[in-house]
Amino acid sequence: MSERHVNPEDPDLYALGALDGEEKQAYEAHVRGCVLCAAELAAARERVALLGLAADPEAPGPKVKERLMRRVRREAGGGAPWEQRDARAGRKESPILAGWGWLTPALALTTVFFAAVAGWMGVQDARDLQRLHGVEGQLAQAQQHSFEIARTATETENLLGMPGTVRVGLKPMPGMPDGRVGVLYNAKMGMVTCAGWLPAPPAQKNYQLWLMPMKGKPMSLRVFKGEWNEPMMMKVPVGMEAKAFAVTVEPMGGMPWPTGPMVMQGAGE
Amino acid sequence: MTAPHQQAPDAALVEQMTAGDESALAALYDRYSGVLYGLLLRILKDTHAAEEVLQDLFMQLWRTASRFDANRGSMTAWLMVMARNRAISRLRRGGRHAVADDPEGFLLESAPDPANLEDEAARRQLAGRLRAAMASLPGEQREALELAYFEGMTQTEIAERTGAPLGTVKSRVRAALQSLKQHFDERTARQSGRS
Repeated sequence: MSERHVNPEDPDLYALGALDGEEKQAYEAHVRGCVLCAAELAAARERVALLGLAADPEAPGPKVKERLMRRVRREAGGGAPWEQRDARAGRKESPILAGWGWLTPALALTTVFFAAVAGWMGVQDARDLQRLHGVEGQLAQAQQHSFEIARTATETENLLGMPGTVRVGLKPMPGMPDGRVGVLYNAKMGMVTCAGWLPAPPAQKNYQLWLMPMKGKPMSLRVFKGEWNEPMMMKVPVGMEAKAFAVTVEPMGGMPWPTGPMVMQGAGE
Repeated sequence: MTAPHQQAPDAALVEQMTAGDESALAALYDRYSGVLYGLLLRILKDTHAAEEVLQDLFMQLWRTASRFDANRGSMTAWLMVMARNRAISRLRRGGRHAVADDPEGFLLESAPDPANLEDEAARRQLAGRLRAAMASLPGEQREALELAYFEGMTQTEIAERTGAPLGTVKSRVRAALQSLKQHFDERTARQSGRS
């Protein structure tokens, strides 16, 4: 992993939004490939968020809640606000106006004006809502992602604390692209976790991570593309001792055994 | 707020909201509007703007209730992040709409809440400790941290605003965060000791 790993304040600085420029880029690049730092960032986000509690609490005016509940009821029961405005703007002329023909051009002009205003407001609201829905989707995805990261992080921490766990840092083979792949492995528990990144593989190819056992054939652990942001915990047969771990370039979908060039390799420390 | 709602955990209220129960939203509003409005006022320094953002925030909570899983992150932190992002976004753009389309800000990857901050007493206690911890920071450190948190400034922007060298600003922000982190760590350790 990069040297950014060693700065213990980076997660908090990043969560605070205080990092910028190269520091920010370096940190983001590191976190993408480091399970432990991703977990630390999750904790930092919580810590930093709660700093807002240091602001003096203040009760908003009662009308804010009233307005909010009105908006909620309107949206829940009567369709979206802009639809109601459009409906109002587009309603037919009241019979009471019949016979007031001289008013028609003025009313028509006024109606067009208000319809245009209502329409514009509707478009604005619709855009906002659309954008909000986009953000909601991102948030849901982020929640799911954070849950997975947190779960993997917990499992990783457990794995780190177990006797017999070995760390393996894979190194690029000569002439192969630079990348970072780390593996934590415990043969007695039959568990492996890994994270890392590599540049994009050649067209129609993927990378494949292998466990090279002391005895027997290599075991496929994971098929991945270059940008590999999501850590994963994998189970392997209990007691399977690893001689080394390796990454090869294979056809899309992976192969049952290594066939392509080896790009990275590493053995336990 | 009705008595059952007063005691209900956030997760239960979110579930009720999903089923269309408006009173659950009202309960969450009663629970969190004070701290959120305080934060919004501190950032925006404008009651009208703060009220508008607060209302938008709870509207979003109402609309996204079905997608929110309180088990995957704390409601307190989520709301604080959303409030801060929206307020800072509004502050910086000065526009009518406070919706932050900064995806980074919304990608809250929150760890599970270590404390039961749904309880107002616990929240007050933590808030009191935080204020004390911030008050105990040296003036320059506190200023740097407040500019970052409440005005959304990066270290470079803080250096420009205060006229201090960038390296000095970095040291100040880092030292301030370290002190506060220590405070949090001690708090977590105390809680672990109790449980």
